[in-house]
Amino acid sequence: MTNEHGGIVVEGVARSFGSVQAVRDIDFEAPPGEVTALIGPNGSGKTTLLLMLASLLAPDSGTVRVAGFDPVTQPAEVRTRVGWMPDTLGVWDSLTVLEVLKTVGALYGMKAAECALRADELLVAVNLTEFGQQPARVLSRGQQQRLSLARALIHDPEVLLLDEPASGLDPGSRVELRSLLRTLAAEGKTVVVSSHVLSELDEIADRAVFVSRGESVKSQTLDEAGNQTRRYYVQAQPMAALAEALGRYGVRFEVRGDSRREEFLVQLGSTAEASWLLRTLVMGDVVVTAFAPAGGALEETYMSLDTDRR
Amino acid sequence: MSTVAEPSTPNPVRTTARLPFHTAVRTVFLLEMKQRLRGKAWYWMLGIWFVVIGFIFVLATGVIGTTDNQGGILFDLVVGFVLFFGLLVAPGLSANAVNGDRAGGTLAILQVTLLTPGQLLAGKWLASWVGSLAFLLLSSPFIFWALALGGVDAREALVSLLMLAVELAVVCAIGVGVSAVAYRPLFSIVSTYMLVALLAIGTLIVYGLSTQLVMEERTMTTSYYTYPDSSVDDMGVPDANAELECVTQTNLSMVPRTEYITWILSANPFVVVADAVPYNLEDYPDPEVPPGALTNGPYYTPGVMETISQGVRASQAGPDDNQTCEESAQLMQPLPQGTPIWPLGLGIQVLLAGALLLLGRRKLTMPAKRLAQGTRIA
Repeated sequence: MTNEHGGIVVEGVARSFGSVQAVRDIDFEAPPGEVTALIGPNGSGKTTLLLMLASLLAPDSGTVRVAGFDPVTQPAEVRTRVGWMPDTLGVWDSLTVLEVLKTVGALYGMKAAECALRADELLVAVNLTEFGQQPARVLSRGQQQRLSLARALIHDPEVLLLDEPASGLDPGSRVELRSLLRTLAAEGKTVVVSSHVLSELDEIADRAVFVSRGESVKSQTLDEAGNQTRRYYVQAQPMAALAEALGRYGVRFEVRGDSRREEFLVQLGSTAEASWLLRTLVMGDVVVTAFAPAGGALEETYMSLDTDRR
Repeated sequence: MSTVAEPSTPNPVRTTARLPFHTAVRTVFLLEMKQRLRGKAWYWMLGIWFVVIGFIFVLATGVIGTTDNQGGILFDLVVGFVLFFGLLVAPGLSANAVNGDRAGGTLAILQVTLLTPGQLLAGKWLASWVGSLAFLLLSSPFIFWALALGGVDAREALVSLLMLAVELAVVCAIGVGVSAVAYRPLFSIVSTYMLVALLAIGTLIVYGLSTQLVMEERTMTTSYYTYPDSSVDDMGVPDANAELECVTQTNLSMVPRTEYITWILSANPFVVVADAVPYNLEDYPDPEVPPGALTNGPYYTPGVMETISQGVRASQAGPDDNQTCEESAQLMQPLPQGTPIWPLGLGIQVLLAGALLLLGRRKLTMPAKRLAQGTRIA
């Protein structure tokens, strides 16, 4: 799946800060040409792992290979191939947007003309063209986020590491981020996205690695996630008829408590089972007004892991 | 974002994984200078500096307008003040260079590029040095004014300015080094001020205290001219025909052998500058004045920095255990330079700055193995 010269392979990595074990044991693979989601609750070690991939932090143990190179012994090789977008925004306030991109490009050894060309392209790609000559401090949070993404892409990296890229973006920008990432993956780049906006990742990611308390607890492709047991919510008019019908077919349900609307949650093993239930209900003259998966496929996995929530 | 971010060249950077030193340093330097030139703080500091130096200069011109060597004293004063204020300003310009970026979240962005820690520190240092040289440049009207009054030769002026620039470079290097070692900007600025104070004031204190360690009992011979008792009448007025005679006294006393401890002073920035400057010592009165006679100048009137230079030379010479009558009758004479002490001082300063920069370079080398408590990379 991951060849010698591309993608990311992490095996048994651990890293602690003093007495705090930020990462205990993470196995992680991100093949080229795919978007890999890194999912986990706050403080589960996502950022620490990304820092190790970006060659900023040395692991205490375990092996890391990024685009075929070891970030600890060959940091320069890794850095030319990796674009990293941190979760904290850092901007040089008084520099213009174009200057920020050109400065960083120059530090990747790009020629001035090459830099300028690439910077213009990226400003178009992240919709910041009209801000090119503006100082970075006038940008809103979402615009700075997009500038940060352009900055990470300036040297056309093979591997892209994005730490919470969607936070602060308006819905339109999220859609654009999604298509940009899909495009990059289609070009054969390795894209890693850490986030906890799971519905977002459902649509972007090809595969997901779940981390919890510094350990990788599960790794699955989105296709696998789609085929697992999922919960569906069902609404009908009136609900009593639905309850009676479900009872008749022996389908167990629970009343969903976290929603404003009154609805039932049912656990179904596959999409075939779901279509059977829907058809049966409709044929049985139950007025079904809503029938949909309760959450995204990844959310389903995330909730089923149940490791950090007690 | 809907448009494709195609690379403009099929294979842009892959060729080299090393950034040429001058490119890297220039990029960091320009990055720093752009931010400084577009901020307001630097201009305010320059403005205040100009007003303060101008005020002191005009005040000093009024006070010492009548003395000999007016140009020399004024020039010396400007050099002394520029050094003094430079020592105050340079840490402010340099001591948050690196950890200020860390606080702003921009350090890690530089660290994931091909920029090496050494290149980063070199660029930051250059930028803060050039920033503080602007203060020197802004003092030039007063420097030229003093030079126009005469009494300062070109060599003295040139070396003074050169040494000022060198001292600013050293302080900036210390500041940048500390800013890379320490995590909090406030802490590093205070630490840099403490280090500068250690050099400027601490050396003096240690020197002063050390005199107690080098006390030695020595036979001191002092001679002076006086009228013989026989020629003085009841009122204490000497007889008109009386001749002065030389009286020599010897006594045992404890004197500090300052020649052993003068090196302590060498690391003082004021000493480094003063000791390096070749003051013109030739136009002063003939030492062979007849005893008791008063001459009509020119008197030897050293300025601030030259006084420091003379003090160091006197300290290097150690106690004079045999003062002759001729010496006692002479006017104050400038001491010629023995062994220059400034190379030692500058060496100590450069060693300190270099050690801090090396330590800072190690701290900035990524991937990081160890991190200080409570710090984040990004």
